[in-house]
Amino acid sequence: MGVISVITGSNLFWMGRYTERAFTTMKTLLSYYDEMLDADRNRYKDYLKSFGLFDTYGNMDHFLESFLFDPENPNSVRFSLDRAYDNGIVLRDEISTESLSFLQMAIDTLCGAKESCLSRRFSLLQLEDYIYAFWGCLDDRLYDSEEKNIVYCGKSTERLDLYFRLNYAKPEIEKEFHVLCARLREAPKNTPYRYNTQQLGSLVEIIGAEQEFDSLRMAAVRSLGRLFESETAKSFA
Amino acid sequence: MITPVANAAEINQLMARYGVKFGIYKNGTFKEQLFPFDAVPRIIPKAEFEVLEKGLIQRVDALNRFLLDVYGDKNIIRDGVVPEDFVFLSSGYLPQCEGIAPPKGIYSHISGIDLVQAKDKSWYILEDNLRIPSGASYPLIARELSRIASPQVFATSRIRDNRNYGVLLKKTMDFVNCGGINVILTPGRYNAAYFEHSYLAERTDAVLAQAHELFVEQDVLYYRDYSGGKTRVGTLYRRIADEYLDPLNFLPESLIGIPNLLDAYRAGNVAILNAPGNGAADDKGIYYFVPKMIRYYLNEEPILQNAPTYLPFYEEDRSYVLEHLEELVVKDVAEAGGYGVVFGNALSERQLADLKQTILAEPRRFIAQEVIDFCDLPVIDEDGNEVMRKADLRAFVLTGEKTEVWASGLTRFSRNPESFVVNSSQGGGFKDTWVLSQ
Repeated sequence: MGVISVITGSNLFWMGRYTERAFTTMKTLLSYYDEMLDADRNRYKDYLKSFGLFDTYGNMDHFLESFLFDPENPNSVRFSLDRAYDNGIVLRDEISTESLSFLQMAIDTLCGAKESCLSRRFSLLQLEDYIYAFWGCLDDRLYDSEEKNIVYCGKSTERLDLYFRLNYAKPEIEKEFHVLCARLREAPKNTPYRYNTQQLGSLVEIIGAEQEFDSLRMAAVRSLGRLFESETAKSFA
Repeated sequence: MITPVANAAEINQLMARYGVKFGIYKNGTFKEQLFPFDAVPRIIPKAEFEVLEKGLIQRVDALNRFLLDVYGDKNIIRDGVVPEDFVFLSSGYLPQCEGIAPPKGIYSHISGIDLVQAKDKSWYILEDNLRIPSGASYPLIARELSRIASPQVFATSRIRDNRNYGVLLKKTMDFVNCGGINVILTPGRYNAAYFEHSYLAERTDAVLAQAHELFVEQDVLYYRDYSGGKTRVGTLYRRIADEYLDPLNFLPESLIGIPNLLDAYRAGNVAILNAPGNGAADDKGIYYFVPKMIRYYLNEEPILQNAPTYLPFYEEDRSYVLEHLEELVVKDVAEAGGYGVVFGNALSERQLADLKQTILAEPRRFIAQEVIDFCDLPVIDEDGNEVMRKADLRAFVLTGEKTEVWASGLTRFSRNPESFVVNSSQGGGFKDTWVLSQ
């Protein structure tokens, strides 16, 4: 096991979160796009509602343009990829130049897709490939299991957060929750990544709820946000 | 000899993929950009490199002896070989380092020696960089990527492999290690050379850290881990200038330094690469004296020559400089990175007169050199045409158990046909440097 500083741990966690945010956001946006083609052109408003945002876009094209490509929109794929890269670039010595290159290529692909005359879904397929390749490369090149676990805790946390917000079906959420729990069991004690048992308990209750499950989604998001708040983390902040 | 020129586009594509960038600040804004790479390598024949190698080892060994002497017994000053003005008035001389013996007596572990080749093929030393010379990572990764894009070139050419730089650097760090991990200290992501810091950390298995991850306790340097534990640091390869290294011993306003680092160093508990205070030996003014150092410490004749240099500090040289100013290049000894360099032939009458006055008022501040008729190197321009451009070579010399020259180097070239300035900060590009094995 190598030595991990607070800042390295934080970069690993947020690289995991932002990479996952870019990925799931892109996948979700493209599925909305598919529905909007011939079913409901206002479907994007549901997406905005999931994040508590108002419709300042007017139509699906402007919405998609912004949520895919706008580096200034904090909910866009581009913004998330840029932040994933920002965290990744300071981890080159941990994650390897090869892993980092897949994030770079993902950004390049996204920028290229904006200008491409090909269909959005087609031109973004390669972005999906690069993110999968990033995870594969990271798994192969990041040797420290503790570091790897921090990245995956970030990834699982983000995925669950988005699944709750975006009304993913309960079975999918349950599956992801089990993945997160498996990661948490590996989390070392006395570190900022020691999880908060109270928040974990709340999540278990929410996921176990049958009738009220949908009404508790935002409560679950809040619990996820506090899952890694610990005294240890505060003392090193 | 065939070169990877036909695959230049692919190599540059790979450079973008792997983020081979450097940062520059323009109008207060940080911008990261790709370092322009030219696929036509500089080629150094085996016999020529052997001479360079001997000369560079000789020079760096003498410079290390000089630093040991200057911060120790000061025999070279006492014996009148180097005037004390050129040592103690140099901004690179740090009185705080007086009497400190660095681990294994090595001051300059990684030396970047800048050379140019004249049209008659003779090499001249332009300057010694003994503080934090940067640039090795660029030819290192360029070679790696060229081999991917253009393997056939390397199958048929007899080129010495340069991909051992990480091994050499690690060996150097390990040799002086005082017990603990190897750490590369970076000012952070927004430093111009951040790519290099992170890439070298990866290549040497060192921990890349910023100052707030390190602390000194009872004269020992530690890396703080996230569980509250601490790990001792035995070698610190710092990529931060001396004055910012320790706010309690140097600039108090530095936010990127480690308080009390110098105390840990003084106690012999950590090796700092390169040692603080090396500026006393790579000042442009002290450059003039390096051949004398070689004779003084090693009792040998210098193998590599300096560019013909004049010191206005000496009356005889001053008269010559003032009379021939329009033929010379004048350098401000306090400047670096291609700044503070003035070519006399580019100045108006008025500017020449002003410069003469400044030299008379502050003779210690300048050196003047004959303009060397550089051997230009071929470069492929933006239109795909081969053009000739000024270029220099930064050779990397590593000193650990022994002094070794890396069989490669950073060849920088000017993209402006009128310019002699090759620095990346001023728009220059780079090439790989091939040393032939037979």
